[in-house]
Amino acid sequence: MLRPEEYFEPLDPAEKNEEYIAMESKSFARDTWERFCANKRAVAGLILLAVIAVIAFAGPLLSPYPYDGMDTSIANQGPSLAHWFGTDKMGRDEFTRVLYGARISLMIGFVATAANMVIGIIYGGIAGYVGGVADNIMVRVMDVVQSIPAMIYMILIMLMLGSNVYSVMIGICVNGWINMARIVRGEVRTLKEREFATAAFVLGASRKRILFKYLMVNAVGPIIVTATLMVPQAIFNEAFLSFIGIGISAPQASLGTLAQDAKMMISKYPMLMVYPVLVICLVIFALNFVGEGLEEALNPKGRD
Amino acid sequence: MEPVIQVEHLEKKFRVKTGLFEEKQYVRAVNDVSFSIEKGKTLGIVGESGCGKSTLGRTILKIYEPDGGRIFYQGTDITQYNMSQMHPLRQKMQMIFQDPYASLNPRYTVGETICEPMIIYNMYTKAERMEIVQQLMETVGLKPDHIRRYPHEFSGGQRQRIGIARTLALNPEFIVCDEPFSALDVSIQAQIINLLERIQDEKQISYIVVAHDLNAVRHISHDIGVMYLGHLVETGPADEIYERPLHPYTQALISSIPVADPGAQGMMNRKILQGEVPSPIHVPSGCPFHTRCRYCTEECRTRKPELADVGGRKVACHLAGRL
Repeated sequence: MLRPEEYFEPLDPAEKNEEYIAMESKSFARDTWERFCANKRAVAGLILLAVIAVIAFAGPLLSPYPYDGMDTSIANQGPSLAHWFGTDKMGRDEFTRVLYGARISLMIGFVATAANMVIGIIYGGIAGYVGGVADNIMVRVMDVVQSIPAMIYMILIMLMLGSNVYSVMIGICVNGWINMARIVRGEVRTLKEREFATAAFVLGASRKRILFKYLMVNAVGPIIVTATLMVPQAIFNEAFLSFIGIGISAPQASLGTLAQDAKMMISKYPMLMVYPVLVICLVIFALNFVGEGLEEALNPKGRD
Repeated sequence: MEPVIQVEHLEKKFRVKTGLFEEKQYVRAVNDVSFSIEKGKTLGIVGESGCGKSTLGRTILKIYEPDGGRIFYQGTDITQYNMSQMHPLRQKMQMIFQDPYASLNPRYTVGETICEPMIIYNMYTKAERMEIVQQLMETVGLKPDHIRRYPHEFSGGQRQRIGIARTLALNPEFIVCDEPFSALDVSIQAQIINLLERIQDEKQISYIVVAHDLNAVRHISHDIGVMYLGHLVETGPADEIYERPLHPYTQALISSIPVADPGAQGMMNRKILQGEVPSPIHVPSGCPFHTRCRYCTEECRTRKPELADVGGRKVACHLAGRL
């Protein structure tokens, strides 16, 4: 039988290297990116989104037709080499209009989300960090604002400020930030109980420094995921408003406006409905895949 | 010599959540605690879990606001100091945390973590800071080329050393070590204890070491304070308390230290306490320990003993010296 000391071979003390770290050094951003890239659906979504965005922003510049150039002599044509998606009832090039619409929709989605993010982070961060009575009041305010459906705010604001891109954005922001604020508040409330927040306090860090450099940076994951999923929501809301006829109005076009135009002649020219709806679907799909991929990549439990 | 830290009748209680119309209840975590620490000395605080030792350390650093009593730092009363008044003092009064995993910001590299206190106090130029970070990393035995790594890439002992380096960046005069060893395994504990002792010799820092590992505390401390239910029941030089404990609770605590030889005398005379620790919401009247004390008398049930000098140390027991 082996004696215990025979199970092991003693290591030469010169070879001892306790401080050595075998794991490759990775920053948080790089680690997240690598894990994101491992997810095929998410990468496909990101590429699709990038392609749509590039075409939408560069396309109208390259297209020989202006988005509002009317020529009734060529109205309601089918797809051809000159007009890839055909023309609408005013003889406008449908392809240019879809690209233009996609640009407006994407812009509304991203700008409104950015605004929601900033408001939500500041409001939620302060509520969660200060706590107590102030937090209580701030949460009640959110409850009150949220108790009215988002659509009612949007419709009211469109009626007051008129139908244009800015009032759609404002309408989306009126209660869109609440979701973000709730997420941030929850994260900050948990993180501030963690010992590194106490450590920062003992080191003499100011409240602002603790909130942003200790609490917020550690809430980046949920914040990004929430934001990514807010973009398709905003795009959908805009499309809906335009579709029911109170959003962006002609000659400007968003994907919703195009769908509304096509609605009247859907029995004769169904393809005019297909193009904008298809683009909306692709954009929302892509954003959802990206959001899902980010959620997985940012979740520390997924680390192997 | 003037003590670095002096605490008089310190009290800290926490409100317990009760219904709207019920009587307000408080957990009395720290109750009438007094002691002082001199430059370059270590006071070890021992006691069972929940006896208020960590709260004591945190209240002295004003992480919690004290509810009574006074705290002196180098003779200045800091009990009522607000956040901005405390700011310059925090540089001198620091803390080492129990959990090396939780006490480092996961998004900061080691270099940024150690640099942070110097940035907060606007000390040195950028280049000087980098040099100091390198020096500190060597002092605590970390490889300077790990400066760009993140906390999750280190082992527990390494992380505890990162925490110590961060604390030392401010050149503190007084450090509260809140269970600095309990999350580490035994060989690493020895490393950290030696590191803390070496730093104390070099820089004459005073420590409060809060811990439940009685052997480690004895090794590192000059003086020991024993806490029970938020009260300091005995305090005095470390060796004397371990050799000849006077308070019946200290006796039970010391006899609970595991002995390597099971047949030894200590095992036979082990004093095992009966019953549970009473709730800190309803601290017993009289001596807080009377419900579990085998020597309990009528006086113990009714009158609370004060810390009194008994043979060169302080004991809060009516029967001290007679047991």
